[in-house]
Amino acid sequence: MPLTGVEPARMNRKKGDKGFESPRPYKLTHQVVCINNINFQRKSVVGFVELTVFPTVANLNRIKLNSKQCRIYRVRINDLEAAFIYNDPTLEVCHSESKQRNLNYFSNAYAAAVSAVDPDAGNGELCIKVPSELWKHVDELKVLKIHINFSLDQPKGGLHFVVPSVEGSMAERGAHVFSCGYQNSTRFWFPCVDSYSELCTWKLEFTVDAAMVAVSNGDLVETVYTHDMRKKTFHYMLTIPTAASNISLAIGPFEILVDPYMHEVTHFCLPQLLPLLKHTTSYLHEVFEFYEEILTCRYPYSCFKTVFIDEAYVEVAAYASMSIFSTNLLHSAMIIDETPLTRRCLAQSLAQQFFGCFISRMSWSDEWVLKGISGYIYGLWMKKTFGVNEYRHWIKEELDRIVAYELKTGGVLLHPIFGGGKEKDNPASHLHFSIKHPHTLSWEYYTMFQCKAHLVMRLIENRISMEFMLQVFNKLLSLASTASSQKFQSHMWSQMLVSTSGFLKSISNVSGKDIQPLIKQWVDQSGVVKFYGSFAFNRKRNVLELEIKQDYTSPGTQKYVGPLKVTVQELDGSFNHTLQIEENSLKHDIPCHSKSRRNKKKKIPLMNGEEVDMDLSAMDADSPLLWIRIDPDMSVLRKVEFEQADFMWQYQLRYERDVVAQQESILALEKFPTPASRLALTDILEQEQCFYRVRMSACFCLAKIANSMVSTWTGPPAMKSLFTRMFCCKSCPNIVKTNNFMSFQSYFLQKTMPVAMALLRDVHNLCPKEVLTFILDLIKYNDNRKNKFSDNYYRAEMIDALANSVTPAVSVNNEVRTLDNLNPDVRLILEEITRFLNMEKLLPSYRHTITVSCLRAIRVLQKNGHVPSDPALFKSYAEYGHFVDIRIAALEAVVDYTKVDRSYEELQWLLNMIQDDPVPYVRHKILNMLTKNPPFTKNMESPLCNEALVDQLWKLMNSGTSHDWRLRCGAVDLYFTLFGLSRPSCLPLPELGLVLNLKEKKAVLNPTIIPEAVAVNQEAANNPSSHPQLVGFQNPFSSSQDEEEIDMDTVHDSQAFISHHLNMLERPSTPGLSKYRPASSRSALIPQHSTGCDSTPTTKPQWSLELARKGTGKEQSPLEMGMHPVASAPLSVFTKESTASKHSDHHHHHHHEHKKKKKKHKHKHKHKHKHDSKEKDKEPFTFSSPASGRSIRSPSLSD
Amino acid sequence: MAEAAATAGAGGSGTRSGSKQSTNPADNYHLARRRTLQVVVSSLLTEAGFESAEKASVETLTEMLQSYISEIGRSAKSYCEHTARTQPTLSDIVVTLVEMGFNVDTLPAYAKRSQRMVITAPPVTNQPVTPKALTAGQNRPHPPHIPSHFPEFPDPHTYIKTPTYREPVSDYQVLREKAASQRRDVERALTRFMAKTGETQSLFKDDVSTFPLIAARPFTIPYLTALLPSELEMQQMEETDSSEQDEQTDTENLALHISMEDSGAEKENTSVLQQNPSLSGSRNGEENIIDNPYLRPVKKPKIRRKKPDTF
Repeated sequence: MPLTGVEPARMNRKKGDKGFESPRPYKLTHQVVCINNINFQRKSVVGFVELTVFPTVANLNRIKLNSKQCRIYRVRINDLEAAFIYNDPTLEVCHSESKQRNLNYFSNAYAAAVSAVDPDAGNGELCIKVPSELWKHVDELKVLKIHINFSLDQPKGGLHFVVPSVEGSMAERGAHVFSCGYQNSTRFWFPCVDSYSELCTWKLEFTVDAAMVAVSNGDLVETVYTHDMRKKTFHYMLTIPTAASNISLAIGPFEILVDPYMHEVTHFCLPQLLPLLKHTTSYLHEVFEFYEEILTCRYPYSCFKTVFIDEAYVEVAAYASMSIFSTNLLHSAMIIDETPLTRRCLAQSLAQQFFGCFISRMSWSDEWVLKGISGYIYGLWMKKTFGVNEYRHWIKEELDRIVAYELKTGGVLLHPIFGGGKEKDNPASHLHFSIKHPHTLSWEYYTMFQCKAHLVMRLIENRISMEFMLQVFNKLLSLASTASSQKFQSHMWSQMLVSTSGFLKSISNVSGKDIQPLIKQWVDQSGVVKFYGSFAFNRKRNVLELEIKQDYTSPGTQKYVGPLKVTVQELDGSFNHTLQIEENSLKHDIPCHSKSRRNKKKKIPLMNGEEVDMDLSAMDADSPLLWIRIDPDMSVLRKVEFEQADFMWQYQLRYERDVVAQQESILALEKFPTPASRLALTDILEQEQCFYRVRMSACFCLAKIANSMVSTWTGPPAMKSLFTRMFCCKSCPNIVKTNNFMSFQSYFLQKTMPVAMALLRDVHNLCPKEVLTFILDLIKYNDNRKNKFSDNYYRAEMIDALANSVTPAVSVNNEVRTLDNLNPDVRLILEEITRFLNMEKLLPSYRHTITVSCLRAIRVLQKNGHVPSDPALFKSYAEYGHFVDIRIAALEAVVDYTKVDRSYEELQWLLNMIQDDPVPYVRHKILNMLTKNPPFTKNMESPLCNEALVDQLWKLMNSGTSHDWRLRCGAVDLYFTLFGLSRPSCLPLPELGLVLNLKEKKAVLNPTIIPEAVAVNQEAANNPSSHPQLVGFQNPFSSSQDEEEIDMDTVHDSQAFISHHLNMLERPSTPGLSKYRPASSRSALIPQHSTGCDSTPTTKPQWSLELARKGTGKEQSPLEMGMHPVASAPLSVFTKESTASKHSDHHHHHHHEHKKKKKKHKHKHKHKHKHDSKEKDKEPFTFSSPASGRSIRSPSLSD
Repeated sequence: MAEAAATAGAGGSGTRSGSKQSTNPADNYHLARRRTLQVVVSSLLTEAGFESAEKASVETLTEMLQSYISEIGRSAKSYCEHTARTQPTLSDIVVTLVEMGFNVDTLPAYAKRSQRMVITAPPVTNQPVTPKALTAGQNRPHPPHIPSHFPEFPDPHTYIKTPTYREPVSDYQVLREKAASQRRDVERALTRFMAKTGETQSLFKDDVSTFPLIAARPFTIPYLTALLPSELEMQQMEETDSSEQDEQTDTENLALHISMEDSGAEKENTSVLQQNPSLSGSRNGEENIIDNPYLRPVKKPKIRRKKPDTF
């Protein structure tokens, strides 16, 4: 790295181009990461990092870096010992003995804590003092080399060790370790600037056992034995500037496969899996070709590595020039179902290599661009690989998902803007978490965010054409690759960062089109559109009168104004009309082209030019309309509820060629259980040209219709004869043909039909005996000997079908379930399940699909009262050591049991697992399942809802999950589901049940709440004039003020927040500064370090900034004095807030209560007061932030 | 005489008790013969002046007599067949006796001895009918060149074919039925056995045997069993591979035959499901040329390599 010869002046961030201003007062140019010892036995890592940093401000005296979990031994800057402080407020979000337990409070505090260490706000957990000897050096903006020695012991996040407990060396045991995490999580395993916007070049060195391979980013330059020849060191160079968050590592005894098509691509898998790896990756080169072709751009890195590891955090994780996959994606040639899924994962990760790894983002609010582009080009790949039908089906599915999510939770905002602090409305006030940081997001929200991002990209494409779209991508990429090849021009490197505004500018430059309205609607604003459509045909005028209403008042909706395409299929053809949806116009007249007369024998032209014969007898003789579709191209993020007659839906199903239209009509036909619907569905089922997914959903619709028509149904059970015709032997219709899955379409249909059939019910609401026998026969005669594909998924679905056929047991006076009173049908089912489950032990199926289905089926039997409800079996399958799919299935059953049987014991067992399980994915999944299927919800009385549980969950999200962002957010989700935003109802009321105004509060406070008074006073002290001196160092968030004052405004105000910190960076004028003591220990918060930036003379250490409280005249505990970083609420807010009423209403309004009715409000209000008093109890403790697990309250700090 | 009768009677009672066990006509026939022989032996003993004899010795003597007579018969038959006859003649007997070292000349005198006892003729018992082994088909008549006295041909099934009266099970349905139930039985037996011999779990607290579930046991490396195809499947795959070679438009399992040539030249746009399996041979040859950093040899440490400082 030619670090010299750079003119410091050019690095002034004020001169940064394209509007990117680094929030950090320095520019990182190069980083070395060296891990020279990895101990699998002890799960520890020892190493050092060296960051090459150029100051961009003359008076840089502190450098903040990110580091979590790491034990830092020593920091040197340019070979001089440097003092440092390690403080991580996210370790424990609320330091409270309080019983408050208010999620609203927690979320604000958590967001503030994350802000306090957010590199994009110029913060970090690790604060290093620049030694005074170097100040002059810094003033000249000369290079600093920060050398940090660190170690990592039993990391709980960031790096995941997998060490199977068998005999042999670590390599023989297949032990491996890999980096993992969600968003910027690199700080978990080495100190860095953990931001996507700080790019630098990298040198990575890993010394590992000679039998192991270390895979990391960039080019493997060389591998060198250590002197004792027992270890080797892998040297990697990454010359393309890359963000720390995109750095990764995987070490293990991997088998190495050089891609036969592309020698610069290397694949790695765990021992014994090489044949699977060969098969799985044999397709990857085609994905490469596809992306390179559409982007007209070479893959940006000189090499690519895929690593398949066990116990993966996520199935796919993309990092610079390497991707880490779950080993469970590997499959052999015999597996049908997993093949497309795995290929999709490969393609997804590769798309992220271009957008996400190579091109990074400026800030969190630009994330949507990256996710959008990578998701969009991945969609293009899907279209090419799996066809237009699959693509459209996928788009429809994604659209339905996002619509359902937004309507449920109230909106997903792609581009949140937190500027100014002016807006009263928190952009995400409907949510129980802050969307200001990736780390505070609920995982589900993030998934939906990604989904929406790529859908919006597609909308942009619709507007500007795909050609322009690809040109924009190409432009972004070529700018970035030009920038990346620049030797060292830090400001050029910011070309590799994408921002929303830059992206939009590119679009307008390339296409010349104004997409601002579109962006405003879908990107700057959350919510989807909900249309209700109905129509009437005016025969006289030959006009279709279409009425389109919108619901834009429900949560998660927004108003749509603009063009809307409507397609009308008439007798004479299909016609597109573009309607203008405006504020007040509901009705739209659409002239029809055809008269209602029937042209006998005339073929009817369809949209795609095809002409077909139709039997028109079903339609209304007066109307030429066959069917109508609203927004057929899905160019609005919407939900459409459209009313048209059943025969129109049937025509649409039969003759409309778009799979989305077919899917929609199938859904609509559920409401029309008539013989005509039955016929239409059966015809579709039989039609081989029809898209297989449509046929599959037709199966389920047919089952529903059959059930609705049960009293009039004639003939054999639905689908039976169809199945017989398609899949059974000609000579003996009760026996299924031997399996031949060469045609995937019919394979999927063959799998699905019995599952749907099992949902049929007779007049007694039982599954017809005929159907059950049929399914049992399918199982009995299943013969896969001549098949070249595995039938494990097929057999699993047969078990699912058996489970579907189960109906609730007829129970006579709640007798205990025993074998003797077992229903004979259930006995047959149970026999099959037993045999299948036992056979799995001897001949396991791929991914144990059969075990998974058996476990689910057993739970169904339990739930329906055929088998005694008992979680023991599931618990044994849920243990660590079973395949992850089995574990999840078993855990799902336990979660369900917990809910149905309200078992406290099982809930505890689950919670323990969340805390202790070795696999992060399983921990995450349990929380997720508990949230989806909660044992109780906030408005429900439940014996499980008690104080201990509240405490336990609170602890879990407050401190127990600090090592894993995703897990913590999962815990928050669960807490929200169980208790809601405010104080859990099961907590005992606070001591005083008084209804008071805030103003009166003081008067009635009992002595135990004295700290509250302190807080209030202190808040008063936070007046604008003293503000600059009050800047908190490590913990900018509110802490001391009254809870009421914790407002999203304050905590979200990043701008002001940054300015604070910049303020703080000004070189203190007091001589005290020079007293920096070399860091003699790693302990944090040693008072001497804290000369702070306070210009007011004070004898107290200033890091704690207790100055603010001087005016209060109250006694403060030493703890508080030592620890309390003052609230760093921005000035503007304070001004505003000080004038604002202190009435607690204020708080409510901002957060969650504003929609409640008055009455309720009052009640809540009352309640709230109690909270307040409670909250105040603990305020003094709010801010102790133990560094590296140490409590702030250690005696050394209090003096 | 009386004694002899007694012994004979004793023998008779013995056989009677034996006859209780077997009422088979063939057995009866043989028992009657034997009884006669015993009477003969007893009378001979009486002639020789014995007053009584132990049962065991009578039995032994009977046995000897029987063997002797049998041997005469067998030998005589051999001689007769030797001369291409089917019925033995007197001379055959004589030759036999001579051969056996018996002085034939003494025979007439012995037969005319004075003190000989006359015993009653043995009761007429029917020669047991040898059950026809298989009345399958008609025996072939002798062709003209074979004299009629030659034995009949054996049953045709023994040397031509076995006609069966039921059609062999070629019916598809039955076969499938059979295969299915066989497999099911094997599976059930096997799993029950495993369940019996190992730890089990049960869905019913009161009954652990009706639906025994083999207990779940965690693996140390769970992904291996989950991902790798079982041996059975592997075997199956090989079988279907060879038998369906012509059907391989689908390449799901062609991973092992990846062609290297495609990659060297411009990668052609082979569709997802179509790759060319024929070029697999070139693979090994080219692998040596691949320059991939992970395949490079590991370097020896430099003598004075500057180690990153540790602490």
